Amino acid sequence: MDQREFANRRIQHMEMCDITKQFPGVLANNQVCIDVRAGEVLALLGENGAGKSTLMKILYGLYRPDAGEIRINDQTVPLHSPNDAIAQGIGMVHQHFMLVPTLTVVENIVLGLPSSKGIFLDLDVAAKRITELSQKYGLQVDPWAYVWQLSVGEQQRVEILKVLYRGADLLILDEPTAVLTPQEVDELIPTLEEMTRMGHSIIFITHKLREVMAISNKVTVLRNGQVIDTLATADTNQEALARMMVGRELLKEYDKAQVTLGETVLEVKSLCAKDDKGLPALKKVTFEVRAGEILGVAGVSGNGQRELADVIAGLQQATSGQVIIAGKDVTNKLPAYVIDAGMGYIPEDRLHTGTIPSFSISENVILKDNARPPIARGPFLDFEEIARYSKRLVQEFAVKTPTLETQVGNLSGGNIQKLILAREISREPAFLLAAQPTRGLDVGAMEYVHQRLLEQRAAGKGILLVSEELDEIFKLADRIAVIYEGQIMDILSIDQADREHLGLLMAGVTQAAD
Amino acid sequence: MIDQLLQTHIIIGVLATGVRLSTPFLLAALGEMFTQRSGVFNLGVEGIMLMGAFSGFWVTLVTGTPMLGILAAIIVGALMGLLMAFVSVTMQAKQGISGIGLYMLGWGLAGFLFRITVGYVTSVEGFRPIAIPILSDIPILGTVLFNHNWMVYFSLLLVPISWVVLFKTTWGLKVRAVGVTPEAADTLGVSVRGIRYACVVIGSIMAGLAGAFLTLGHTNMYGDNLTAGRGFIAVALVYFGRWNPWGILAGSLFFSIVDALQLWVQVLGLDIPYEFAVMAPYVLTVVALAAVSGRIWEPAALGKPFDREA
Amino acid sequence: MKRVSLFVVLVVVLSTLLTACGGGTTSSDKIRIALILPSTIDDMAWSQSMYEGILAIQEELGMDKVDFEYSESLGNPVDAGAAIREYADKGFNIIIAHGSQYQSVLDEVAPDYPEVSFAYGTGYQSHDNIFAYDPQAQEGAYLHGMMAGLMTQSNIVGIVGPVEAGDAIKYNYGFQQGVEAVNPDVDVRIAYTGSFGDIPKAAELAKAHMDAGADFLTGTAQQVVGAITAVKERDGVYWLSNDMDQSPLAPDAVLSAQTYDWVKVLKQIIEYRENGTMGGEHLSLSLANGEIKMVYNPNVEGNVPQDVKDAVEEAKQQIIKGELEVALPD
Ligand SMILES: Nc1ncnc2c1ncn2[C@@H]1O[C@H](COP(=O)(O)OP(=O)(O)OP(=O)(O)O)[C@@H](O)[C@H]1O
Ligand SMILES: [Mg+2]
Repeated sequence: MDQREFANRRIQHMEMCDITKQFPGVLANNQVCIDVRAGEVLALLGENGAGKSTLMKILYGLYRPDAGEIRINDQTVPLHSPNDAIAQGIGMVHQHFMLVPTLTVVENIVLGLPSSKGIFLDLDVAAKRITELSQKYGLQVDPWAYVWQLSVGEQQRVEILKVLYRGADLLILDEPTAVLTPQEVDELIPTLEEMTRMGHSIIFITHKLREVMAISNKVTVLRNGQVIDTLATADTNQEALARMMVGRELLKEYDKAQVTLGETVLEVKSLCAKDDKGLPALKKVTFEVRAGEILGVAGVSGNGQRELADVIAGLQQATSGQVIIAGKDVTNKLPAYVIDAGMGYIPEDRLHTGTIPSFSISENVILKDNARPPIARGPFLDFEEIARYSKRLVQEFAVKTPTLETQVGNLSGGNIQKLILAREISREPAFLLAAQPTRGLDVGAMEYVHQRLLEQRAAGKGILLVSEELDEIFKLADRIAVIYEGQIMDILSIDQADREHLGLLMAGVTQAAD
Repeated sequence: MIDQLLQTHIIIGVLATGVRLSTPFLLAALGEMFTQRSGVFNLGVEGIMLMGAFSGFWVTLVTGTPMLGILAAIIVGALMGLLMAFVSVTMQAKQGISGIGLYMLGWGLAGFLFRITVGYVTSVEGFRPIAIPILSDIPILGTVLFNHNWMVYFSLLLVPISWVVLFKTTWGLKVRAVGVTPEAADTLGVSVRGIRYACVVIGSIMAGLAGAFLTLGHTNMYGDNLTAGRGFIAVALVYFGRWNPWGILAGSLFFSIVDALQLWVQVLGLDIPYEFAVMAPYVLTVVALAAVSGRIWEPAALGKPFDREA
Repeated sequence: MKRVSLFVVLVVVLSTLLTACGGGTTSSDKIRIALILPSTIDDMAWSQSMYEGILAIQEELGMDKVDFEYSESLGNPVDAGAAIREYADKGFNIIIAHGSQYQSVLDEVAPDYPEVSFAYGTGYQSHDNIFAYDPQAQEGAYLHGMMAGLMTQSNIVGIVGPVEAGDAIKYNYGFQQGVEAVNPDVDVRIAYTGSFGDIPKAAELAKAHMDAGADFLTGTAQQVVGAITAVKERDGVYWLSNDMDQSPLAPDAVLSAQTYDWVKVLKQIIEYRENGTMGGEHLSLSLANGEIKMVYNPNVEGNVPQDVKDAVEEAKQQIIKGELEVALPD
């Protein structure tokens, strides 16, 4: 049965040969060659901005390459549009969600597909198939929920379901795990294995070397738009790959400076809030962050982290309780007020909450300070100062961009994150809220961001770090608060905490007294 | 004084008039709803209505067959829609400006063509009311709803039809997606351009019909600037109706019934300054809009041209 | 964005080309008349009546003697001001701005062109080189009121008005007096559309009047063509025309019309100029000077009872002789 399915796959061998793609000021792909066979997982590895997404968009027919060709089963195929790609059996999960927030999950999934009821939608039939698929692959999601109500992790599941639903032979997964919890990643791996057994080919992009080792058969490493090497996964290891990617060795351990704790910069008292569906999302959350410490919030995605960050940032209303930043009560105040009180914010959804994609880098950099000197002189903007300031940030934080006028939406995912970080940190806030700050960053950039956060800590800032990466929390935090179903299960100091205990807390298990 | 208004035959008169007055708004606004749902903002509705009004009238005058006039209005509406779609979708021009351009074009062209083809005020035999058997005998409701010409029925029928098309068909799903997140629709192989062209043309055909209603189903004549701003009101009603056919029906009926009411208030000589009376539909519609609370789902990509690599 | 502006410019040019009609040759010994209209030359009302008056003058004095151009749809006085200056610069010597709303524009423009005669109406305030013409619309309105008052079966008559201002008030006031004089039981219902050109609204207002029982309707402004067409479609309802004989629109429904003899007014202006008077005269149109005419529609004239005709005729003579003065609102 599997054998037959395997042989029936339309794509037995896909090759991209000598692909070149030039964007204004950036050579995103330079004579890139990759190939993948039925049943294989090819991992694409590379720094932020190396050209991975661009290459995949070419394969999916979204971009036209300037040179090069794509062959399927040794035949050159024209891929001029996603329709061509879909017709060839290629499916893609995009790095940035390609979902329509105002539509339901099932509507998003069947969008563009013919219906069993002719011109009318067959949503009930589709919802059943989706439920089957999500059970089969462990991708739980309510088909009738609106996408705007979903957490980032759930949205990612919808993206994967969308491709599975279309029965693609070759799946392109552009950083699918960036937004998944470690548990969810562990659940995804068997799914992928199952798919390869059925003869699917998979191109898998990730910055997490652990996943590369666990999932792929071979790896292609890109740097600056060029292929550095392609090797069998079995013949390499994480350190070698990291070196190949960033061109240098990475730190194994971080130095944490001795800091004396200062005043309380964030105080959250009995905070309650509801989620988009109107259900309680935060239940009497209480904690504080003091100057010079990093408090990590650990938890499985969807347990109230998003609401916690939004309420603190003034983006969502609290139903009761208090938020105090640097001594000022900011409960249910407008974001501008919260910013003024001394908060910096690195949001989870960086493309939309953190930036305005159609604005230039400079414009995004001054977004929060456009009414203040030296950026503004009276009602006017000082463009020279803006240019100087933006240039400094871009250089200091190594944001990879052709010009300062480039639209932020055109930056690679990792570079958007660096830009937000640059803006928020250099505003010198007393308190910094970092929600998933290294999601989607390459290992080099991640190390860089971590160093910056530790620097801020050493400089006496208080930081609330919301992260689903336990590794990250262990590396950076001084204390760890575990959140489960909107409640703080416990707050542990870093030397008390061990992974096993944390894992139980994150699953909602309070240890029975022994 | 008020009891004068509360007599049954007057209430019936007001409601029946309101239903009749709502037809051009309903046709044009439902069309513009499709246009905007796909992400295109067509401010040229008024100009298309004028061209539809003129062409419907002229063809009827020449042929004596109002149905041919309707056909002409449909063709003219479609052509103007194609022009709008070309400028705003293919050329990616600023939609507000091209809409105003289309309005001026329609206004100038309709006046010019009327001058050279007809050139004097005259009337045609338009559509007569058709009393729907049985239904029109229902007291009150019969006269209010079931004693109009076919275009009134047609416009009312279009409300559930539009709703079904928009929310229950695969095509409607594409429209809703394209107007919010065109990139997402694009990655699933939905032709953003194709959908937008179709929606702009559909919207324009309906604007053409709305114009033809004024000449063939209402006044039976054509005159300079006949539409008198109704196209712009229709665009506003799309916002009022929150891009939903039922909302648009509510808005169109509300506006028109208040308008009919104020005419009757004047006709009955009630002691209300006429300035207040004529402003009432506009003011009350704005007030009603403000009072209806709830989240506004403006199609997020409304007015934004789509370009994959930009 | 270049493409966009190109398109907009194209459209603007096209639409101005389409709306600006007329034409003629230039020569200095001619009378050169320019006409600014709030609506169009074929509105079957106020604008068309003046347009036809000038055509008649042209016919009478010879096409080679009178040069004539016009601009339509300039309801907005600011746009009108630009057009007026343009005509003055082009060497037109009589510029008629056909509406009371142009008074202030003329006051502003006229001093810059002392050799040009300007005229406007309805109005009475004249200046050095501005004539004001002033139809005494209340006189014919009074006679119409008498007809309606004497002939109505339902004792309800309706007025389809534009906005409550100048000309409309004058007409309506005269009409009410006429009704009152012959039949105090009649209810005269005045309603306004709030616009001069909203034809469908005027039609709807007429329908409402008729639904409410009116069997005589009248009204002013170019939008009434919609009302007349609506009246035509009902039996037993009459319309009383103003500005122009509107009976071609509804040969069986328009009973009578008050019309203005613009030819006479124009001739007066031409004569004044020949005698060196550039303006400053108040030109009244009245039944007495024959510049207001009352015409029955021959199709339905037979439906008017003789005693009604006689009463109307008698009142008309009294007005002409000055024995009966139709009051104006203050
Ligand atoms: N539409 C575009 N217009 C202009 N430049 C672009 C566009 N898309 C990508 N780029 C540039 O091309 C380069 C490669 O971007 P790409 O998104 O392929 O990187 P990536 O390898 O996917 O990075 P990341 O890991 O951060 O997602 C970057 O420098 C980016 O700024
Ligand atoms: Mg990428």
